Amino acid sequence: MTKVAKVHEDGPKRTLKQMIEPYIYLLPFAFGIIVFTLYPIVNVVLMSFKNNYDFMSRSFSGWGLENYIYVLNDSYFHQALANTFKYVFIIIPISMCLSILLANLLNQKIKGSAIFQTAFFLPMVTSTTAVGLTWRFMFNNNSGIINAMLGLFGIEPINWLQIAGNNFYALCIYGIWAILPFTIILLLSGLQNIDPLYYTAAKVDGASSTKIFFKITIPLLAPTIFLVMCINTISTFKVFNDLFPLFSGPGVANNLFTAVYYIYYQFRVTRPPRYGRAAAAAVILFLIIFVMTMIQKWVEKKTKY
Amino acid sequence: MKVKIENLVKRFSDNTAVDNFSCEIESGELIALLGPSGCGKSTMLNMLSGILMPTEGKIYFDDDDVTYLAPEKRGVGLVFQNYALYPHMTVLENICFPLEIQKVPKEERIARAKKMAELVHVETMLDRRPGQLSGGQQQRVAIARALVKTPRLLLLDEPLSNLDARLRIEMREEIRRIQQETGVTTIFVTHDQEEAMSISDHIVLMKKAVLQQYAAPQELYDEPMNSFVADFLGNPPINKTFGVMNRGKIVLDGGCEVAYPKAVDLDDGHRVILSMRAEAIVVEGPSEAMAEGVIEQTYVMGKEVLAFVKLGDFSVRAYIPAELQLTKGQTVKLSLKNKGVFVFDEETGERLK
Repeated sequence: MTKVAKVHEDGPKRTLKQMIEPYIYLLPFAFGIIVFTLYPIVNVVLMSFKNNYDFMSRSFSGWGLENYIYVLNDSYFHQALANTFKYVFIIIPISMCLSILLANLLNQKIKGSAIFQTAFFLPMVTSTTAVGLTWRFMFNNNSGIINAMLGLFGIEPINWLQIAGNNFYALCIYGIWAILPFTIILLLSGLQNIDPLYYTAAKVDGASSTKIFFKITIPLLAPTIFLVMCINTISTFKVFNDLFPLFSGPGVANNLFTAVYYIYYQFRVTRPPRYGRAAAAAVILFLIIFVMTMIQKWVEKKTKY
Repeated sequence: MKVKIENLVKRFSDNTAVDNFSCEIESGELIALLGPSGCGKSTMLNMLSGILMPTEGKIYFDDDDVTYLAPEKRGVGLVFQNYALYPHMTVLENICFPLEIQKVPKEERIARAKKMAELVHVETMLDRRPGQLSGGQQQRVAIARALVKTPRLLLLDEPLSNLDARLRIEMREEIRRIQQETGVTTIFVTHDQEEAMSISDHIVLMKKAVLQQYAAPQELYDEPMNSFVADFLGNPPINKTFGVMNRGKIVLDGGCEVAYPKAVDLDDGHRVILSMRAEAIVVEGPSEAMAEGVIEQTYVMGKEVLAFVKLGDFSVRAYIPAELQLTKGQTVKLSLKNKGVFVFDEETGERLK
């Protein structure tokens, strides 16, 4: 009773304190976000507008669009973007279709489905670099298991890693393999959220399993499919690490430049390092991913029920 | 369509859900499958729809043996307990779906779906999705979807259990109306005796996998074949007392003698259940007294008074005229009407008188 009265007596003071209080609780977390996320992002954007920026001495010759003009006219960057887009547009549809198929198979009540699930999810818990090295052996021209298998079907050995056209497909195969488990896990949980009663209802009406799959399963799974596609698009746009275990770098005669590799190249490989150009490329990549995500969100909204 | 069920048995690994069930359902009737939860009524429905295959026995639709026929070949319409409307389709698309599978031309299926929507009164919400409908509206759409392919048999699984009390009464009358307008043989599952009594032509009453009685609602109420049927139907619940026969009288546990004339020829020492509906007990009436009891408690209910009367160890409900002005602790004389009083064997529960 007295407490209530007090609030009314010195109301304004209490309100001010009440206003500040939540921010004090937020402070530790906000500190982390500001230092480790916001500051670097803002810094990258600023860096991209500084001409001839030197990371060590923090000196630069002036503000301007020089970095952007250079990057946008750089043929390496064009190639990097072309590679990245090609990579994304090959990986996303193929991995989505494969994952939907495999997730559906894993969702069946079959004997040993636990074994299959473990087998499919294994790539997620292994080091992709270590397994990438294994893939390098598997892709080997002379002793690799992939060429040996193809040989069984009478297909001539393919030089996966050392020929400029082929190594892109080797990268795609490896990329699809690496992205499957995560995709399957999310789709599987989406499938398990579908009430089996819908299937029973459709079956009583005489729907075939193909009809059920396309008319019931896929539409009900659509929100999950869009979510996974969004996440996968972002992650595949950032393809970079896969280059090292497979090719120890950007492929044959730099033919496998990707957008993120270009950033790394400007930042670390060229002498002297071009920090401003790396930052400009990073900002451009961010904008591309942002636009792609927005397009997907827009499509998702259009198809939502 | 006539439905004939012969010696149907469904066993799951360690329990029997339906045991030796036989009955014949006349064409065009509304049948309630009634029973407490776990009695096997949903299993029964699933076997009729073809979702479950029986272990033994036969099911005939008219003269066709459909026992092991796949659901889609039986021509049954099924309404699920939680309706199972496809959330990504509009009302119209939902109703059209069974026809789409049957490859009915688009124009015809839309026409038929719209006609069905009119029958169940959802014609104004064809473009909405199930998520935007109330429970009762979803129920109507589900019925329309089940009826659109003109099934030979309509099955409804607990159709009213997901609705609130007022909607439940409205919807049960709607089910009756739709059933009568279409004339389709309909079987619905329920655990609510009032629901079953109010709208069905016949009731199938089940308990622990076994058919107890198959009869019209009034017959089930007036002539229960065993003590379970008598207990299950009626509100307030029937007064159930236990006793033993002694020189033509029933001596209830606790020492109260009931001289029920119809039980007079039962053997001495026979343990019986005497079940009396509240409206069958006459307190201080003009006819000859059959027992004496003590008023324990009275509740004024307007035109009459509900009294609890102590008979031996048992407390029975009876209605007494308000003008009698009986009070707690008073001894009263009781007589029993012919209708609404039943004597069952205590061991088997079978009806004796």
